[in-house]
Amino acid sequence: MAVIEVKNVNVTYRVLMNRTGSLKELFRDVLKRKARVVNYVALKDISFSVDKGEVVAILGRNGAGKSTLLKVLAGVLPPTKGTSKVDGKIAPMIELGAGFHPEMTGAENVLFYSALMGREVKHVKSRTAAIGEWAGVSDHMDFPLRTFSSGMVARLAFATATDEMAEVLLVDEVLSVGDGDFHANSRARMNSLISGGAAVVLVSHDMRAVLELATKAVWLENGHVKMIGNPAEVVAAYEAS
Amino acid sequence: MKYAQLIRILVGRELTLRYKRSVIGIGWTLLNPMLTSFVLWVVFSFVFASKLPGTQQYAPYLMAGILLNTFFNQGVTLSAESIAHNGPVLTKIYVPPQVFPVSTALAGLVNFFIGMIPLSIVCLISGQSVAWTMPLVLLVGVCLALLTAGIGLTLSIMYIRFDDTRNIVTVMLMILMYFTPVFYPISILSERLQRIIVLNPLTSYLDVFRWAFSNNATVTAFDWLYMFGTSFVSIAIGTFVFKKYWPRTVAML
Repeated sequence: MAVIEVKNVNVTYRVLMNRTGSLKELFRDVLKRKARVVNYVALKDISFSVDKGEVVAILGRNGAGKSTLLKVLAGVLPPTKGTSKVDGKIAPMIELGAGFHPEMTGAENVLFYSALMGREVKHVKSRTAAIGEWAGVSDHMDFPLRTFSSGMVARLAFATATDEMAEVLLVDEVLSVGDGDFHANSRARMNSLISGGAAVVLVSHDMRAVLELATKAVWLENGHVKMIGNPAEVVAAYEAS
Repeated sequence: MKYAQLIRILVGRELTLRYKRSVIGIGWTLLNPMLTSFVLWVVFSFVFASKLPGTQQYAPYLMAGILLNTFFNQGVTLSAESIAHNGPVLTKIYVPPQVFPVSTALAGLVNFFIGMIPLSIVCLISGQSVAWTMPLVLLVGVCLALLTAGIGLTLSIMYIRFDDTRNIVTVMLMILMYFTPVFYPISILSERLQRIIVLNPLTSYLDVFRWAFSNNATVTAFDWLYMFGTSFVSIAIGTFVFKKYWPRTVAML
């Protein structure tokens, strides 16, 4: 059963050809009738689906449209044409710790991050201690986040993001979180989420991780799907290009 | 509502963060308007105090102006910035983006209400008493929150698209402040200027606020209508503009 269903998704931006993005210059250009609007195609006719327990890797060079696709999947960016349907809760693990504030304590940040993901605040409060412990930062939970090391922040963010079962995980290069010990723990938790039926979309430049985890690969180039299928074949073709 | 708890957390965060690293912390919310008012009072009371009609007192007049103006200025700038600030979150997790400017406006509203405490003190010191119409201040606050949230929503789109919006807004707000009778009585102006000042919606908010709090101004039906009207129009335009342009703007974050 498909948890993620992407059908003929197109994303087009209308971009103002306005050199510096300043209101003053736009005003001047409009007066001189020099303001132009250009269509920029970020994604073109993308279709694929992800089933329960499947791990789909998205490959592509910078600017190929990977992050735009993740935005569409997260529901943040509505596609210009086509549909993107996601069944169930999404746990975004993209740039872990976005939304964390350095002046708030660890516990407050956990609560805020969870509320952002639409979790019940009451439930999260009872889980905060456990989340801190799993991340190995129990002693620091009541101190401002600015006193944390960057590894601690990443661990806390990962622990919060994965604390509740989610049907969909969107992962962007976060599998390399923390040191050896935590690395193994986080891998284990990811695996248990996947075997629990989560569908995973993974964006990575690390081909070893892709080959190891993915069950399917999608290769994006200039906004359209260049190749889709078995990870070993796609990675081989991608690396050959 | 699903996002009520998020808004609650955001408002709390907004209120505590502003003065988090200072010794007296949230106490600044009380002290700040008092200190500002005191300084301006020292400077201007000689010039303007005698120009107020009847039983009106300059100290509460000035402070009411400052409280309202601070609410508006901070509300507009902070809520306009809030979207750009929270860009990293908004591009990754789906939450209705309006949550951020709205929470900022609400935090401003709470601050404004806290400001009623020092204002009452100043009222009593200058020999006035708080009027029985005081609960109507609630209406002024809510209308002003709607006004700021509406302007903030519109501006937040422009902040992301055009880098210089911030500078333009700062200047505009300053000009607007001088076109609002914050520290001067409107009666000192020429009749032509008065007609312009009356067109400024903030003048109406301020009239209603001063009148409701301690009967320190005269209020007309026009003031009431203008206040309700502008708050409604502002939030309607803000919501519309935001809805329309957000899908294109999120791509730029």
